[in-house]
Amino acid sequence: MTKTMMHLLGIFCLGLFGLTFAPNAVYAHGEKSLEPFIRMRTIQWYDVRWSQDKPRVNDELVITGKFHVAEDWPRAVPKPDASYLNVSSPGPVFVRTERYVNGQATAGSAALKLGGDYDFKIVLKARLPGRYHIHPFFNLHDAGAVMGPGHWIEVTGVPAAFTNPVKTLNGDVIDMETYGLANGIGWHAFWFALAAAWLLWWVRRPLFIPRNKMLQSGQGDALVTPLDRAIAAGILVVVPLVVFGAQAMTDSQYLNTIPLQTALDQIEPLAPVVNTGLVQVKVQRAEYDVPSRSMTIVTQIRNSSDQPVQIREFASGNVRFINLASHQANQDANQGIDDDTLVAPQGLSIDSPAPIKAGESRIVRLTGTDALWATQRLDGLIRDTDSRLGGLLFLIDATSNRYIASISSAVIPKFD
Amino acid sequence: MATKALEVPPQPYTGEKARLTRAYDYLILVLALFLFIGIFHLHMMLTVGDWDFWQDWKDRQWWPLVTPLMMITFPAAVQAVLWSNFRLPMGATLCISCLLIGAWIARYFSYHLWNYFPINEVMPATMLPSALVLDAVLMLTNSVTVTSIVGGMAFALLFYPSNWPIFGMFHVPVEYNGAQLTIADLFGFQYIRASMPEYLRIIERGALRTYGQYATPLSAFCSAFLCTLMYPLWWYMGKAFATTKYVKNI
Ligand SMILES: [Cu+2]
Repeated sequence: MTKTMMHLLGIFCLGLFGLTFAPNAVYAHGEKSLEPFIRMRTIQWYDVRWSQDKPRVNDELVITGKFHVAEDWPRAVPKPDASYLNVSSPGPVFVRTERYVNGQATAGSAALKLGGDYDFKIVLKARLPGRYHIHPFFNLHDAGAVMGPGHWIEVTGVPAAFTNPVKTLNGDVIDMETYGLANGIGWHAFWFALAAAWLLWWVRRPLFIPRNKMLQSGQGDALVTPLDRAIAAGILVVVPLVVFGAQAMTDSQYLNTIPLQTALDQIEPLAPVVNTGLVQVKVQRAEYDVPSRSMTIVTQIRNSSDQPVQIREFASGNVRFINLASHQANQDANQGIDDDTLVAPQGLSIDSPAPIKAGESRIVRLTGTDALWATQRLDGLIRDTDSRLGGLLFLIDATSNRYIASISSAVIPKFD
Repeated sequence: MATKALEVPPQPYTGEKARLTRAYDYLILVLALFLFIGIFHLHMMLTVGDWDFWQDWKDRQWWPLVTPLMMITFPAAVQAVLWSNFRLPMGATLCISCLLIGAWIARYFSYHLWNYFPINEVMPATMLPSALVLDAVLMLTNSVTVTSIVGGMAFALLFYPSNWPIFGMFHVPVEYNGAQLTIADLFGFQYIRASMPEYLRIIERGALRTYGQYATPLSAFCSAFLCTLMYPLWWYMGKAFATTKYVKNI
């Protein structure tokens, strides 16, 4: 009986183990942690590319991409007055050597403008070998981390080969990996030695019970000897002397030191890329069918350009629904699609697939059906405080001109 | 001469009694070591936190204000116990040594080995010079009031100069795309920290302004003043808890 119980318990534990370490376990590092309305309606990422998959230690990896700052920014999220374009990685397995937003180099935080369009470039240098899921993302002040698309990068080589030389303003070249380390350890060791000497000076004597007894019996004065007092007086003279002497020496060795720098970079948005007005998209109704995991968006599209346009893609929260019927739709490389991209295999179905002619205004019903709504936890939207959908709708004309609309709408759930 | 210097004052116990009380000493010392490594380090992580963790948080204003103020706490309480009951003037040095042992273990194992940060980016600050002076002042004056005022002030005022030889060289400027940064700032930019965006740093924000562009002395004196208040507060906390009245039913 007990044996059966043990076996059952064993099987149960194995099952738990399997669930925990299943090969397709979620590589959770915050991609899905924020509420869907924040992931859909704050920073809307697109065209994110990685320059390579397998850098060696010291090689460069360049991430480029674009993002639109949604007009329909959620009420519950503070405005992006201080935001930081970051890279999600398990610690500094890369160092970030350069970062540009709209062509402007930036090392600090920046304010973003609602409705603004931006492009970015992050230059990384591989530091530690391993396989990492790398995303660009935005830290938004008081809101959290809004992830961009992720990509698996495999760094090869040996960690010891990594160097990070930096030239200071006075022309010295230093290695960030070791700069100041020996000096710092030296000073810590020096003060530790002094402290240890002082502690040992006291600890070598009989301590707690005998000293307390002597103190109680009025012999407390004998517990501190004239030599102890002399040493303490010596500490009061020598320690400040060493401290201020070393400070003065440091000052004379490093003449031009500056305080830590902090600035909020001012970065102007690009000329409008999204919602330019040439192709206007208005959402009339959005419905999410819970059992079939299907989002239907009824849009009114007005084509004010002089070319017929076709819907190519709807992207929301890094999940991409592609109109498989649109020409060029299968040129995956052209769209930055690879094994790591979250693409719904059945794509985006459109009730009237014919191109929208120049000047035409048409009601189009878009349906994106896929388990990704659930696995990416975007379906949590319908139980959010702000259950509005947001995303980018991409349209193209025959000459591959692209029109992008940032759309948003309340979502009506169909629970069964 | 050397042996004479090392002689200890006459002792109340000899023989087996002396041996047993000495064993008790070691028991307490070992417990105290682990206790202070644990709790003082925890206290430091929760109160000073990022200011001590990262090069690019060690600014000239908030770092020298916050660190001594939070670091004089345990030393004051432990001094209250060790000095009042045993005339042992080593409470501050003991606490700060334990703290630094804990800090170095954490920086090496969890920041460096586990999270890959170079150790020079995450070196802790030292408060040992301050602690030695605090112990010496208490011993020579045998007065909480004088130690609060003189010792507390010295504890805070010595903090920045004693750390400048370690961290000053990280304030050498570098040029980054047309702007100057310190090497410390560059650490923050280069070595990716997903949960520590730049805007979380508190660099000369708030009402504590620089005066005639002297930021650090002002902060240090502000901290010194606050330390003179923090010291007696924690001294009396140490006294209040150094009693057997809570365990008399055992
Ligand atoms: Cu990822």
